[in-house]
Amino acid sequence: MEPSCIAVLDNGACTVKCGRTSVSYDDQPRLITNAVVRSRGDKATYIGHEFDQCRDFSSLHYRLPFEKGYLVDWDAQKAVWDGIFSDEVLKINPSESSLLITEPYFNLPNLQEVYDQFVFEEYEFHSYFRSTPAALIPHGTLYGNSSSAPPECMLVVDSGFSFTHVVPIMEGSIVWSAVKRLDVGGKLLTNRLKELVSFRQWNMMDETYIMNEVKESCCYVSVDYRRDLDMCRWDPRKNPILQEYILPNFSANRNGRIRKAGELINEADQILYMNNERFSVPETIFHPSDIELQQQGLPGAIASSISLLPEDVQGLFWVNIGLIGGNTKFPGFCDRLMLELRSLAPSDVEVKVYTAADPTTEAYKAALAFARNSAFPSHVVTRAEYQESGSNACRRKFKDWRSSDRGVDQTLDRRKGKAPMQDSDEEPSSAPRKGGRTRNRTGIQPSGPRRR
Amino acid sequence: MPPKRGRPRRQVQSTAANAQVWIDPDVLAKRTKKHLEELERSNYTEPSATLTGADDEEPERGSSVRGRARQTISDKREHGRKKKSTMNVRTALLYRKNLTTLIEESGISSLPANCPTYLTAVVPPPNEPPRLICSVCGYWGKYKCVRCAMPYCDLNCEAVHKETRCERRVI
Repeated sequence: MEPSCIAVLDNGACTVKCGRTSVSYDDQPRLITNAVVRSRGDKATYIGHEFDQCRDFSSLHYRLPFEKGYLVDWDAQKAVWDGIFSDEVLKINPSESSLLITEPYFNLPNLQEVYDQFVFEEYEFHSYFRSTPAALIPHGTLYGNSSSAPPECMLVVDSGFSFTHVVPIMEGSIVWSAVKRLDVGGKLLTNRLKELVSFRQWNMMDETYIMNEVKESCCYVSVDYRRDLDMCRWDPRKNPILQEYILPNFSANRNGRIRKAGELINEADQILYMNNERFSVPETIFHPSDIELQQQGLPGAIASSISLLPEDVQGLFWVNIGLIGGNTKFPGFCDRLMLELRSLAPSDVEVKVYTAADPTTEAYKAALAFARNSAFPSHVVTRAEYQESGSNACRRKFKDWRSSDRGVDQTLDRRKGKAPMQDSDEEPSSAPRKGGRTRNRTGIQPSGPRRR
Repeated sequence: MPPKRGRPRRQVQSTAANAQVWIDPDVLAKRTKKHLEELERSNYTEPSATLTGADDEEPERGSSVRGRARQTISDKREHGRKKKSTMNVRTALLYRKNLTTLIEESGISSLPANCPTYLTAVVPPPNEPPRLICSVCGYWGKYKCVRCAMPYCDLNCEAVHKETRCERRVI
């Protein structure tokens, strides 16, 4: 039996970007809050997609399925997924559908098993495919239109809610030994802004939702931190950075907004002054040491990732940097990154950064393109296979950080033309994993066009 | 001119030197760790028992606290079909483990050193020393509090810092 449709879930820690393959659906995913949220004002609990009905966003209590980027609260996650698969969102019948779902980078083996268990034992999907968001990017259009082949080497920067990853991809597969993680994500930035504002002006510690809105509408990445910091000390009337944010008033059903020049305000309105907070918060991605986090900033992370790659192709990575994830939406993000990368990169290489029209949904769109690809069915694990060999079936078939435990060696081998490990060549074999792979690796086939 | 410039600088240095003598780096590391953990929290105030969604819906069930089997969110909200979950799924739903425990149980720390994992993927520490930023207003923090080593930029901010944030226990 063939599955009637494929459900695509980019299962992020903040929002699930979901949709399905079917003619009647457009390419825009639905964004579902990945949380069980309790609103005190509404006296109601909203699960996932129900959050759209929320009217009072003050002092929300969040129960997030993810902790530091990994899925730990399955109770909350199941509640959100139940809603997504139900008639209220995707309207799918799991037993007749296939599923494409994303997982975090370096997902823990014990957690991967729980993914398999939920997909096959709880929802009883016909078949499924699990992968990290960056691994799907080659199927998308981040590096140009779909007609041209994606570049052989690409460096995907995924800056999401929980953390930021630098993910080099070579010939369609991730070079795990050079993947770098920076523990700064959107959640930390919002919390940082909450903290600064609460110390300096209003107590906003319980207002995560509001402060996230403030962050999204006011914050930007400074291209000249020193200059901007000085400008913030100018006379407020001349200070071009200072913004006044009118905090929302939910009892009057009014949302928050930035005060426009000359706009009159009610006496009852509460004004939040956004001055150096506007850029010092996103600055944390570039200088984690500002909050005493002993990690290099994003430009340094990119440089150290590239330095771990084979020397002769490093230039190809510098020129194919792609940005995905919500944090890359800060105005100035790309300019600042370019500026710093230019000074870190060798002078003879070109540096180029690709951006998506919507960085949040880019991975989803790539995933959807992959799901529509005629080769997709050959990548999935079916329920029958799972029933036969359990999670081993998934371990054999889904490529992740464990399938490349030789890291660079393997990639290097491949580049030398020893064994081009094309996706389709890798048949799931019942032989022991190690042996099976060795055989695959020695099965020599003429590799694609060599680089030089 | 030169001697004039020299003096204040020496003073600053001696303050910094004092700070290092007086403040236990372990205490500072602990403070930083605590701060970073706070920045990871989903909610600032943990809900009191009366405010959690779970407890609001519980009384209807009317069963005694001790005898009640553990309940999941989806048990409370039946989404149409009612079917029995497998043991694996039930375990994952009912026994939540935090990330530290999960990492321990995953055994990734015992994998060979050349195998990249969550633990090895973290970016290396920065090469340059951290910039000092005023903990009160966000401008450059030229000075450090003698008591708690938090940077501040001028006398105004020093006063605010002393009044509000200075952790006197760090001496």
